[in-house]
Amino acid sequence: MTEPRNPSMSSIPQTGPAHTDSSSPAVEMDPVEYTLRKRLPRKLPKRRNDVYVNMKTDFRAQLARCQKLLEGGGHREICVHGLGLAINRAINIALQLQASSQGALQLAANTSTVELVDDLEPEDPDEAGEPMTRTRNNSAIHIKVFYPDPQ
Amino acid sequence: MSAAKVKMREKKMRNQPASVQYPSSSSNVESSTQNGADAPGTGENADPLKGGLSEVHPSTERKKKTPHQSGWVRGHHKDGGGYTKEMPKYITAGAFARARAAEVSAMLKAVRKTTSSSHVFEALPKHMRRRAMSHNTKRLPHRLREVANRMREKSLQAGSKKKKEPAKSKSRKARRRHGNLLLEFNRRQRKNIWLETHIWHAKRFHMVKKWGYCLGDRPTYKCYRACYRAMSSHCLLQDLSYYCCIELQGDEDKLLAALSQLTSKEAGPTFAAALCLSGRRQGSVMVYRAGRYPSQPLGPVTFLWRPRTQGSVHRQLWIWAHPTLKQDLLPELQTVCQCCEAVIPPAAPVEVNPTLEADSEPENTPEAKPVPGTKRKRSRKDATGPPAKKILGDGTRLPSTPVSWRSSSNGIVINDLTMEIVRYRLIGPQSHSVLVDTLEAATGCDEVQKSQTCSLWWPQHCSDEAKMTLHQQQADIFNILKGIYSTAELPSGTVLGLTVDDPRLTLPRKRVKALPCVKQAQEVDEEKRRKLMLEGVPEPCCQSFIWEQSVRDNVTDNKISEQELNRMRSEVLVPGSRLSPTPLQGRVPILLVHQPGKQVGHEMSSWGAGWDLLLPKGWGMAFWIPLVYRGVRIGGLNMSLKHSQNKAAPHFPRDYPDCPAGMCFQEEQEAELLDKFKRHPPAKRTNYIKHGCVAPFRCPWQQLAEEWEIIVQEGGSQARTTAQADAVTEERTSQQAISITKPLSRFTVLRNRKALRLLSAWCRPTTSKGQRPCRVGELPPISCEAVTSFLSAHAMSLVWVHVSLLSKGKPEYHAMLCVPTPEDLKALGNRQGTGGPQEPPHRDHFKSRIKRRKKEPKKAATSSVTPDKPDGKEAELIFASDLDTNASKDPKSFSESSSDLVLGLWPDPLPSVASHCSRVTVGWVTQGDFSMSAGCGEALGFVSVAGLLNTLLNQTSEHKGKLLLRNPTSLHYRFAKINVEV
Repeated sequence: MTEPRNPSMSSIPQTGPAHTDSSSPAVEMDPVEYTLRKRLPRKLPKRRNDVYVNMKTDFRAQLARCQKLLEGGGHREICVHGLGLAINRAINIALQLQASSQGALQLAANTSTVELVDDLEPEDPDEAGEPMTRTRNNSAIHIKVFYPDPQ
Repeated sequence: MSAAKVKMREKKMRNQPASVQYPSSSSNVESSTQNGADAPGTGENADPLKGGLSEVHPSTERKKKTPHQSGWVRGHHKDGGGYTKEMPKYITAGAFARARAAEVSAMLKAVRKTTSSSHVFEALPKHMRRRAMSHNTKRLPHRLREVANRMREKSLQAGSKKKKEPAKSKSRKARRRHGNLLLEFNRRQRKNIWLETHIWHAKRFHMVKKWGYCLGDRPTYKCYRACYRAMSSHCLLQDLSYYCCIELQGDEDKLLAALSQLTSKEAGPTFAAALCLSGRRQGSVMVYRAGRYPSQPLGPVTFLWRPRTQGSVHRQLWIWAHPTLKQDLLPELQTVCQCCEAVIPPAAPVEVNPTLEADSEPENTPEAKPVPGTKRKRSRKDATGPPAKKILGDGTRLPSTPVSWRSSSNGIVINDLTMEIVRYRLIGPQSHSVLVDTLEAATGCDEVQKSQTCSLWWPQHCSDEAKMTLHQQQADIFNILKGIYSTAELPSGTVLGLTVDDPRLTLPRKRVKALPCVKQAQEVDEEKRRKLMLEGVPEPCCQSFIWEQSVRDNVTDNKISEQELNRMRSEVLVPGSRLSPTPLQGRVPILLVHQPGKQVGHEMSSWGAGWDLLLPKGWGMAFWIPLVYRGVRIGGLNMSLKHSQNKAAPHFPRDYPDCPAGMCFQEEQEAELLDKFKRHPPAKRTNYIKHGCVAPFRCPWQQLAEEWEIIVQEGGSQARTTAQADAVTEERTSQQAISITKPLSRFTVLRNRKALRLLSAWCRPTTSKGQRPCRVGELPPISCEAVTSFLSAHAMSLVWVHVSLLSKGKPEYHAMLCVPTPEDLKALGNRQGTGGPQEPPHRDHFKSRIKRRKKEPKKAATSSVTPDKPDGKEAELIFASDLDTNASKDPKSFSESSSDLVLGLWPDPLPSVASHCSRVTVGWVTQGDFSMSAGCGEALGFVSVAGLLNTLLNQTSEHKGKLLLRNPTSLHYRFAKINVEV
């Protein structure tokens, strides 16, 4: 997965009020209108056996990718990561892998919280407003799929 | 008759008797038919009546010939009598025979002798000719060999003579001598400016002369995909030094007051945006002519304020503009700032510093120590003495041309800093790693160096405590960059000022690939990194000494030459290690400006983010090579187009059809494409008329906007099917063509952000390929009233749209965007796999005209044109009106226009562009390609707002925003989803 992860997969608001493109009066940042711009989640260095799951690529393709890594790629273990909306899919992939291996594979899941950054650009007529940056958290899952050691 | 023709004729006539006359042109054929009697040798030829006519035969023959005089008339004719008057009554046999004898001998001579120009083997009959006879004379029959040999020798001699003549210039060695080479280079950049990296580029790129510069278009090696990969996963480097920088100095409020006339807040943040004004961010803005907000745009610029200095209202602003935009922008700036007094050049930086020049003379090397503003003329003059100087900065400018203007009323100063600052652009998520690898914050200088008094700027700065703490802060922030994984993590537009060491000192011995170092990342303080990511660079750290003219000049003048550097390297004990102590000259103030990536749309956000590197002039190559050694790819103009295409951003000047530069670009492009089209043999050209493509080489936006305005007016607010709209357009446009259109306003491109947001919501934005709908805010739903009120404000507007194809297909530029009929959409719902409807082939009515014109070149001009009856059943309906409009025009105008008839192209008064084909056209694509980031064909273009809204009103919600796209060379429509991205 060379492509950066799609921001829309992290777009489910886990915390805080609803954010729409032009903030509604319910949100505290009135009277100035802001445009919301989400930054990409922070990328971390990636090993060959890391698979970041997204919602854009076809499910079967991602599954096949993992299978190839485990069977053809010679990796004893791979790590499937999912963020936000993609958590569901990451779990699905891991379970599918396990089911298709007839119990040879084992899973170990970890969850974590990822900090995401939003930029709020003011759209006020007198342009005195400072752009704001806010952080919010989103859940992530990291599933280790591995062949248990023979002993 | 041309000189060559006269010559040919003389040659032909050389061996002819004087009595024989050849027609020099078709008009005097008749007059030359007289023969015989008046041959010059006969003596009594003065009076034709004296010529003898003793026989009967000649006279009868003549009588038959006479009708030739006035056209061909069969049989006896009364008018022939005119000739008989001149007919001699009798002829003298002796004289007559002598004249005939002379003719016969001339004829024999002419038959025997081959014309000298032809080759020997042309005398052979065709069936005896063989391949490569001129090469090998043994293939000729024996009798001709000798002649052929002689001719061959002759031609060889002539060839060798010709070759020798231009070789009189200097020897290669002399030409390649450094001074002479520089002279030659300086001569060659007299018309088009060379960038500092020109020679590097010229060895590797296809160069084009554009906008007064020599620029690299694309590399000579294959690297399209590699460059894309570099942009999306590593780093691509471009030389953007051709962008022009205009500096404005003055009081902040006065500057803002002047500049506010050029912009509008409706189109987004302006020069006064708080964050940009503080100098922490770079801003970009669309500039208009003063006070002419929506109607007269000039183009997009980026700008950068210098951070405030303590307790001063005096500000400095750099405006970066494209060279085609500069010529419009500069006068406009001068008027709004009331800067009309040109400051005389001596005050300007082009002044030659005589002492510095003297300094630099001894060390002239291939990377000659540059002296700013050395005039070409000057260097040519003293070419005999010290060798020529390399031009730095703008070489095409005359020394007397003012580059600075001052206002007497408000104290604003405008400086034209074109070519004074080098600008490199690094695109890609790893561009910061490349920078971190290449650059190193300047090392301070020890006490000994400080105490030395010299002209260099750095030791002076080192002695100032405040400046050194600032430098330390900047260096700290620069080091934090190591801990960042992707360039896109930083706030867009961040500015960082810095002073760095000469990057040539740390040049790796081999080309390496700069990658983010994980270990270093852990070392970096997490808290500081977070702060940088959230808040960007604090204001004081955005300060850089590159803003100071004096420092810039000092740095440029005191650059260590490549030769000197190599000498120092050779003296280092361990080969390849870093030079130490760092030579004092090697400190350069730079400015790093973050460039935001893709900002619009819902996908691939921040794709193509990167950094711009601003350097003082003269240091271009010193930074270029170290950057290249960090494994970046180099892109040309071609790649910057692809970059903006993937970012879905309009590319200047291509995608600004309402700006003067954009219009100019369109004309140039049309001429270029037409020229290319005409270079094909007619049989191999695409017949665009048959493809139903009215304007394959340009987009008649004005006509489109006008037509759609009329359609909407006619249609009123009631919903109508497209077929009805069709009929109306045809009718209207045919009327239009006859009575010259009433004065209409010019079209504009919609840039009002609120309006754009509304349109965007009405199009139901989806992800690429139309897979998933995206969320939009609460905006009024599309309705007739809303549309009417929208159109009342923006009827003559075009809107920038992003098109992604739903199935296969690769859009090209000038592809048509058309409205699908309800049946098409039904078919789309039923079978997703089908490609889309087909356009019935059109008939080319101009083809026969062209043919006819060729057949009778004279008559075509006068004969009235009778239009062919279209017999193609499908095309008949569509064509009827167009044809009538053409035929109804008086034939004169047609014959005039027929002079530029090109097979396969519509002649100039175009038919209705909207309703020319079976699907109504709403717009065109300006750039399109297979998008490697989306994995399907994607295009960018404009559609008419009126046309778009009309379409959206009639579409059901599941098919909202679905249009058809058809390439100019194809009859196949493809379904596409359009998104208006804000």
